[in-house]
Amino acid sequence: MSPLYWERHPDGPFATLIAVATSYLHPEIDDADSLKRFAKSEDNQKSRVFKSELREALADPSRLPAGELFAHVKYDEGSDEAFLRQLWHDLYGDETP
Amino acid sequence: MGAGDSLETDTRVVDAPDVPRETPEPEKAEESPRGEVLDDPDKRREASAEARQRADGHWKSDRFEVNREELGRFDLKRAGLPDMSIESAAKYIDENRASRPWLAMTDRACPEARRIIAAMDLAGVHPHIRHEGWVTEEANRRRVTHREDPAQLDPEKQALSVDGLRPNDKRHRCADIATRITDPDAFATAFTRGAEHSEVRKALDMAFKPNDKPAIVEIPIADLLGPDGHIHCTGWRLKPVDGSITTAYENRNTWVVDRLEGRKPDPSEPEALPVQTFEGGVFTFIFVGNETERRYEIMTMCPDPPEDQRRES
Repeated sequence: MSPLYWERHPDGPFATLIAVATSYLHPEIDDADSLKRFAKSEDNQKSRVFKSELREALADPSRLPAGELFAHVKYDEGSDEAFLRQLWHDLYGDETP
Repeated sequence: MGAGDSLETDTRVVDAPDVPRETPEPEKAEESPRGEVLDDPDKRREASAEARQRADGHWKSDRFEVNREELGRFDLKRAGLPDMSIESAAKYIDENRASRPWLAMTDRACPEARRIIAAMDLAGVHPHIRHEGWVTEEANRRRVTHREDPAQLDPEKQALSVDGLRPNDKRHRCADIATRITDPDAFATAFTRGAEHSEVRKALDMAFKPNDKPAIVEIPIADLLGPDGHIHCTGWRLKPVDGSITTAYENRNTWVVDRLEGRKPDPSEPEALPVQTFEGGVFTFIFVGNETERRYEIMTMCPDPPEDQRRES
C-alpha cells in the first residue's frame, strides 16, 4: 500500500490539501514561493479545491486524518492547527478563513 | 552492434573512496574503517559516522552492477535534462569541478552515468547534490542533527544552517531523516529508470500549467534497482526522545533555532542513528515546473526507508 495519503485515499477528506502542501513544502523542496503563486491562480480548479479544503480544515482541525499532514510535510509549527493557520496567513494574508 | 563497440572506455577510479571529499592521511590517534589512523577531529568524526553506518545501518559498499548500455541509451530530454554527449559531459565536469565539488563523485561513475549526472548539474536540479555519494555519512548525520546543508559550501553558513541551494540565505530545513545513494552508477540508474516509470511519466507528461505541478511520487527501490538495490542506500534518522520521533524532531528544531538566535540551547544535543535498512523502501520523486520550456522536471529524488520506519510508532 502506498504511504502517500492521497494515493491511498484519492477521494478521502483533505486529499488535495495534503497532496499540494506536501508537493510544495516537503523538506526536500520547501518551495513556499511557488505555493504562493499556486494559491493565487484561482483560475485553476485544484487551487480552488485546495483553498476550500484549507478553510474547512481550519474550521475544525480535528477532522484532518490523524498524523497524515505531519507525516508528509514535517512542518515546524508543532500542530496541524498551528501549521494551517500559518499557511493560511502566508498564502491569503488577512483574508478571513 | 555489441556493447563493446558502442561503449566508452570505462575511466572510473576503481579504488576511489566511497566518500570522495575525504582524503585521510595516516597519522597517530584513531583508526578509520579503512585501517588508516586519523588525528584530525573532522576526519575522526567522518570515520566514526562511516563505521557506525557500516555496523548499525548494515551498509555494504558492494559496487552496483551497472548496465552501461542502458544508461548510454537514455534520452536525457525524457527527464527534461539538456542533451549532452559523454565527451561534453567530461568537459563540463572538468571545467566545473572546483566550484561544484559534488561533481567529484563522478570519478567513481562509468562514463554513461557521468553524462547523466553532468546533465542534471547543468539543468540545475539537485538530487545529486544532496542524495549521492559526495555527501558523506558525517555530513548526512549533521544534516539531521544540526540542519547543516551538505550543499552549502561556505563552512560558516553551513554551521548557521543556511541553505546552499535556496536564495536569500534561507534557513535549511531537514526532515527527521537524511538519506543518500552511495554508488553513482546506482544513482544514475535509479534516476533513469525512475524517469521511465509509468507513475513518474504520468507526472512529467502532465499538461503544463503555470503555477501548478504534479504531486510527489514514490516508487519502490526494488522496482528501480532490483531486489538488492536497497544495499546502495544509507541514511540517518533522529534518535527518538522518550520513544517519540515527533518529540525528537520538535526538540531538534527548537535546539537549532535557539542556537542560531543566540538563546542557550538545551544541553542535550540532538542525536541521530543510522537507518537500519532500506529494504522495502521507496525512491521519492519531487517535481518542479520549467516555465521557459513549459514542462515538468524531476527536481529531486531521494531514497526513503520502508513505511514502518518512517511513521511514528
